[in-house]
Order: sequence, then C-alpha cells, then structure tokens
Amino acid sequence: MIDFVQNTLDGLAIGSAYGLLALGFTLIFGVMRRLNMAFGPSILVGIFAGAWLHSHWSAGMIPVFLATLAGAVIASAYVERLSFAAIRGDAALASMASSFALWMQLEEAVARVFPQRTYAFPTFEGLPMLELGPLFLRPEYLVMFLTAAALVAGLQVILTRTLFGLHLRTLSDNREAARVSGVNVAQVALLTFLLAAAIGGVAGFLIAATDGQISTKLGMWATMKGLIAMVIGGLGSMRGALIGGLALGVVEAQAQWYLGASGREITTFALLFVALILLPVGLAGGAETGARAEAGRRL
Amino acid sequence: MLTLENLSKHFGGVHAVDGVSLTIHEGEIFGLIGPNGSGKSTTVNLITGLYAPTTGTVTLDGYDLTAMAQHERTAMGVARTFQNIRLFGNLTVAQNLWVAQNGHEQRRAHFLPRWFKAGGEHSPDIDELLKFSRLHSKRDLPASALSFGEMRRLEMARALASNPRVLLLDEPAAGASLEDGQLLAERIRDVRDRGVTVLLIEHMMELVMGISDRIAVLNFGRKIAEGSPAEVQANSDVRAAYLGSKHKDEELIHA
Repeated sequence: MIDFVQNTLDGLAIGSAYGLLALGFTLIFGVMRRLNMAFGPSILVGIFAGAWLHSHWSAGMIPVFLATLAGAVIASAYVERLSFAAIRGDAALASMASSFALWMQLEEAVARVFPQRTYAFPTFEGLPMLELGPLFLRPEYLVMFLTAAALVAGLQVILTRTLFGLHLRTLSDNREAARVSGVNVAQVALLTFLLAAAIGGVAGFLIAATDGQISTKLGMWATMKGLIAMVIGGLGSMRGALIGGLALGVVEAQAQWYLGASGREITTFALLFVALILLPVGLAGGAETGARAEAGRRL
Repeated sequence: MLTLENLSKHFGGVHAVDGVSLTIHEGEIFGLIGPNGSGKSTTVNLITGLYAPTTGTVTLDGYDLTAMAQHERTAMGVARTFQNIRLFGNLTVAQNLWVAQNGHEQRRAHFLPRWFKAGGEHSPDIDELLKFSRLHSKRDLPASALSFGEMRRLEMARALASNPRVLLLDEPAAGASLEDGQLLAERIRDVRDRGVTVLLIEHMMELVMGISDRIAVLNFGRKIAEGSPAEVQANSDVRAAYLGSKHKDEELIHA
C-alpha cells in the first residue's frame, strides 16, 4: 500500500511534465487544427543547446535553462515557418507529414553534432530528499510539480485575462470571424507556436535535469508522451491535456514498479487503446468546444 | 466611398461575379439583392478579402484594398456579419467586443505590453455598445449561451466594435420573423445614424425596399439594375430575374 502511494506520488510529478508536453500539443492543435509531430524534436534541440552550454562553459542551471528554452523556441519557429505557415488552409495532412520530415531532420542534425549515445545534463544538486512520514519525495520531483503548476496557472491568466490570450482563443473558436474582427491570424498562430515551444522547453528541461543524462531519443520520447497524454485527456482540451498527463504518469509509475520496464511500455500503449475505445472524447469528456467536433471531423 | 470596379471572381469555369462595378456613398444604406446564386455572398467575400478577385479592384476612400489581407481591411474600416452567425462561443459577450475593438491595433510597435493588458473589456466604449445592443445584462455570459436573436445582435455589435467606416450585413434577417424584421430595420437605421455606411445583402424584400437609399440587383454574377427602390422594382429585368419568366431566364443564361 505504501508502495502504491509512493508510486502515485512519483507518477504525479513525472505526469505533470507529461501534462506540459500535452499542453504544448494542445495549444498548437487548438489554434492550427493540426498536429506538430516535430514538437518533441524541437525540444530536443533546446535540451542539447543546454547540454552544450553546460559541458563547454560549465554553465549553471539558469543559463542552461535559458539556452534550453531558446533552442526549443528557435527550432519551433523554424518548424512553424516551414510546415505550418507555408502550408495554408485545409492541408492539415500535408502539415503533419512535413512536420514529420522536420522531426527526422532535427533529430539527425542533433545526432550529427552530438555523436555520443548520451550526454550529461546538469541536475538540481544539493537539494535534500523530502520525507513525508513513510513516503519520500525527490526534490527534483517537487520542483517539477511546482513549476508545472505555476506554468499552468500563468497560462490560465494569459488565456482568460489578456488580449493575446483572447486572440489565441478566437482562432480556435472561429478563424474566419477572427480575421474579420481584425485579428492578425498568422501572427497569433506563430506566437502560439512559440508559446507552446516554451512550455515544451520547460518540460524538457525539467525531465533532463531529473535524469541527469540525455540522448537523441528524447525527441521521439517527448512527442510520444505528449501525444499519448493529449489523446487520453481528449484532443483539443487544455484540462484534458493536464489530466491525461497526470494519469499517464501515475499509470507508468505503477506499471514500472509492479511489471518492470517492458511492462511499463506495454501498459502505456494498452492505456492508450483503452482510452480510445472506452473514452473516445477523452477523460475531460465533452467539456470543451468546437475543437473536439472539429478534431473528429478532421481525423 | 466604397468602390468596386470591374470586379470578377471565377471559380474554374463558373463566373460567380462577373465585371461588377458599384459605388456606395458615405452615410447611405445600400441594398444588394439578387436570386440565390447570383453572386451576392461572393461579392461580400471579395470586399472583405476572403477571396482574391480574378479581375478588378476594391477601394475605400481612395485606398486600394485589393491586395490587403482580411485583418488589414478590418483595420481600414471594413466590418461584416455572417449569414450563419460566427461568434467566439467560448468568450464572454464583452470579450467578443474587446477582441474586435483591439484586433487592428496589433500592428503598432511595442504591441506586447498592449497584448498583455488585462481587463480591457470594461471600457466605456464597450459598455456603450452593450447598451446599444441591449446585451448589457449578459455581458459576462459566454456568447454560446445567448439566444438566436441575441447572437445576431452581438455579431452586429462585434462588427461595430472594430470601429468600421462601412458595415456589410450578410442576410441579417435570415431566420428572423417579420416582426423581428421591423426591429432590425430600426437597428440598421440606428447603425447608419452612428455614422457607419451600411451595405445590406438580404432576401427579405420588405426590409431592403423599406430602408435602402439605393439598391443594386445581381443576377448570374452581373449587375442588372441599380437605383432607388422604386426604380429597381419597376425594372423589367429585375422582375424577370425574380419572377422567373421563362423567356427572360433563357435570355439571361445565354447572355
């Protein structure tokens, strides 16, 4: 029983990072109505930028964090220009296919520059392990959870209280009406993309700093985790993305403990199938908007 | 002030709009009518910039809009409503107006601080528009919670929030009863009295004939008549187009 609670606690922490990845996907999906397959690899570019700064200049956590963020945002801007802004209108599949090509390109480019299998990433050193009665909480996990919570709260303020947030939501509500209301759709779409990249960059940084080492597999890993969490939670729903991320984190942690590493992967994909069959609209079920109906029509 | 010159839009072999020229004067209510498929909606989409014309130009107060994007035309003073209402259903009533009021100011330098400004939906301008549209009591409800009539009023208010010179109303009476039509006529006059020129695209003849200063009639993408309501009603081509005299129809198809 203690094990179960301990796993749940760990799972919630990792799940909050998954939730951030899913949130990035959802922001892009809500505004563009298409999936950005290169989301994970864009984050990968950021993480390796951070790792490079760390190994060559022995940079501390803050410069590494900023480099990770900048790398992810710049790589995402590149993806947006090539796969999304350049492909207009209803050609959603073309965007997805081309973002898949950029995934390969970014991952290959990173692998060229960083040929080793793994690289070191700075960790949160010197933070004490937290004890809660019989339970333990790794300090990295606490940082992860609190950062994710703060980001989600900040995003909520942006989306509901600022003009930029409202413009972003008009795009997912009704693109045509947004245009005639004077919203510069291309500009808002680009900024949304970059915002999603920044959120993904934070998630990537937290995950890399927890593991202490990184490999080029992280790009695909981040895309997979984000996509699965988004689908479990319900396509196009912010709340669903968070719930999906947390659920995925907890299930993975339990499966890892009780079934081992290979059992964890099998359980993850089983969860995806069960979610698609039993809850085709996701865990946040029917709570939100036209995005969902739209998603159903497009996919 | 709003001038269409030799405007055409061809979709493959279909000439949806074919060489239409129109001049709409400042402060008038201009009716654009025609049977289904005559090119009215395409004309509206050419003016607002959803479509690029095959030939011709659109100018507003002497500024050529033809190459401008939709949001740029909104900034120049072109606003519209849709035949099938298009609101931001997840935003509140007041936020729908706030977005439109500020959409065109993004192009300013230092837009970021402005974008992150909060609470702008409580400005006096927005209060005034809400009162004008009798939506004040609903200001914090999501737009999707409004009744059909309220949605129509909100859509018109949102168009007005962008501070337009000319407002294009695409079948504002669609789905409305005859009595609603009477109220709508008053509202359209109120809009004109605010100093906004109105281009009214409408099927409901009583409405168009009753309030338009001038009317143009489209058929098969061409302008077949233009003038006062009385002149247009007396025009034999117009009667033929509407009443569907067989002889006249064939003539128009082969023209």
